[in-house]
Amino acid sequence: MKTIPALLAGLLLTVGLASTDSAAAAEQPAPIHFGAIGWESGALTTEILRLIVERGYGYPTDTLPGSTVSMEVALARNDLQVIAEEWAGRSPAWVKAEQAGQVFALGDTVKNAEEGWWVPAYVIEGDRDRGIEPSAPELRQVQDLKRYRQVFRDPESPGKGRFLNSPSGWTSETVNSQKLKAYGLNELYTNFRSGSGAAMDAEITSAIRRGQPVLFYYWNPTPLMGRYKLVRLQEPPFDANAWATLTDASNPNPKGSQSLPAKLSIGVSKAFRDGYPDLVRAFEQVDLPIQRLNQALANMSEKRTPPREAALAFLRDNREVWKAWLPADIAAKVEASL
Amino acid sequence: MSGGFPQALQFSIADSVNRVVDWLVLHYGDHLRNVSDQLLQVLVGLENLLRLMPWWLLLAMVGLLAWHASRSLLRSVMLVALLALIGMLGLWDKLLQTLALVLVSTGLCVLVGVPLGILLAARPLARRLLLPVLDVMQTLPAFVYLIPVLMLFGLGKVPAVFATLIYALPPLVRLTQLGLSQIDPSLLKAAHGLGASRWQRLRRIALPLALPSIMAGLNQSVMMALSMVVVASMIGARGLGEDVLAGIQTLNVGQGVEAGLAIVALAMVIDRISQAYGRGAR
Repeated sequence: MKTIPALLAGLLLTVGLASTDSAAAAEQPAPIHFGAIGWESGALTTEILRLIVERGYGYPTDTLPGSTVSMEVALARNDLQVIAEEWAGRSPAWVKAEQAGQVFALGDTVKNAEEGWWVPAYVIEGDRDRGIEPSAPELRQVQDLKRYRQVFRDPESPGKGRFLNSPSGWTSETVNSQKLKAYGLNELYTNFRSGSGAAMDAEITSAIRRGQPVLFYYWNPTPLMGRYKLVRLQEPPFDANAWATLTDASNPNPKGSQSLPAKLSIGVSKAFRDGYPDLVRAFEQVDLPIQRLNQALANMSEKRTPPREAALAFLRDNREVWKAWLPADIAAKVEASL
Repeated sequence: MSGGFPQALQFSIADSVNRVVDWLVLHYGDHLRNVSDQLLQVLVGLENLLRLMPWWLLLAMVGLLAWHASRSLLRSVMLVALLALIGMLGLWDKLLQTLALVLVSTGLCVLVGVPLGILLAARPLARRLLLPVLDVMQTLPAFVYLIPVLMLFGLGKVPAVFATLIYALPPLVRLTQLGLSQIDPSLLKAAHGLGASRWQRLRRIALPLALPSIMAGLNQSVMMALSMVVVASMIGARGLGEDVLAGIQTLNVGQGVEAGLAIVALAMVIDRISQAYGRGAR
């Protein structure tokens, strides 16, 4: 009987040795670790970059999952090398690491990315095909919301309207709470924090499917933007001083302003920046046109394509976009692999 | 990615599930929102009632309840001090919201769980059919059913109550069933011989004898309901969980710990009181 455990142990040992052997053989350069971003635009961008790095430059890559903050911390420690969509400057963890020179934001990946307050178009214009009457026909800017609180009724406190804020803990949550104060909507609307991104998306999608009015914070680039007809409410033009009062949660008298135009970059660790100058040059050129990105995201979310396949499709359909980022020989390699 | 499993035998139900959910939202979404608004009224009403109460009255009531349950002055003072501590951390209003949520979901748990436990104890067929369902309820990751429930019933407290109900119900059902099936059958036979009806046997003999076990189940349900508070906050139910979540998401460990300890304190208060009643019943 004793031979069986011994046999098993021997077998395990061989398997172990064999696998370390093959791993060592395959693993000449260590793979570049990308943060596995959970939201769609991040997931798609990650896969687009990975495909280019793998097929154009021939470096192996890998992804590691985590929440935004934990990925930023991991990047600072070089446990991750790349975060493909970094809203640089938004989170304290990032700002601290950037000041310490541990992480770098490369490029400006999506120009005209915006965030703000949105309503479905049918709230303003109605939708004859679905038999929806316009419920707030004169809603143009945030100040108009004062007249329409009954339209966005909050079932938890029926006298007020409901503004669907981002989850508590997001930087935008502070800004939106301050904006409610700045626009004089604090008493009229419930500042409803949605708890998690998934819950927020589910609530918005459900409302739109049912043709109900809904007022929510959202941002670009996102599948939601490509998928439904949404209208962004106008806010006062961007003003740096007013923006400072909006980002400071303890400021009692915030002033209204459009949000700081979002700058999306590729976050990389210091070791990566030093070790892969060729990739750094390419990453700095990355420029994803927002319309095409929203469209690709809408397709990906509607057909529920895995991000990797969606990225392949994006590369196939938008050759002129990514060829501009890369040296000709690398671009040719990527193209040949599609 | 599919490993060595033969391609021909693989299938996916994902698309049909997605279609069913979408169809439900489209056709029944508005009706279900009305149902959920009713339940919401109960919750908000209870919450407002708790808010109307001055803080010292609530503390005094908890103290009295603790004393009534355990007859121990020291324990009552300790429990009141624990609750007061939550208030001192500046979390009083969130405590009330969480308390309302836990009370309503536990109330629903008792309404559903005890009869279900009785059914399971009385009918072996029901037991065979429902035990796997209970397993599913306890192990299915909450977000899997939360998001569809949320799309149907709206964001906030109502789906939180549903989620808590699903997660916290099984221990009460199991322990009610266990308590009832451990009663000496000769007692019930004797009662039968003395002419007691089915209902009388259940009401006068079986339930009192099984009460310690039922109370233990209730106690477990409350504890599990409290542990769902953080998940509940991820679907927009406000309360102590919201602070834990915000603390985690911003790396504000201190804030998370404060709110987490408040949840623990609330759990201990409810646990000690309900356990004392359970022991009293023995």
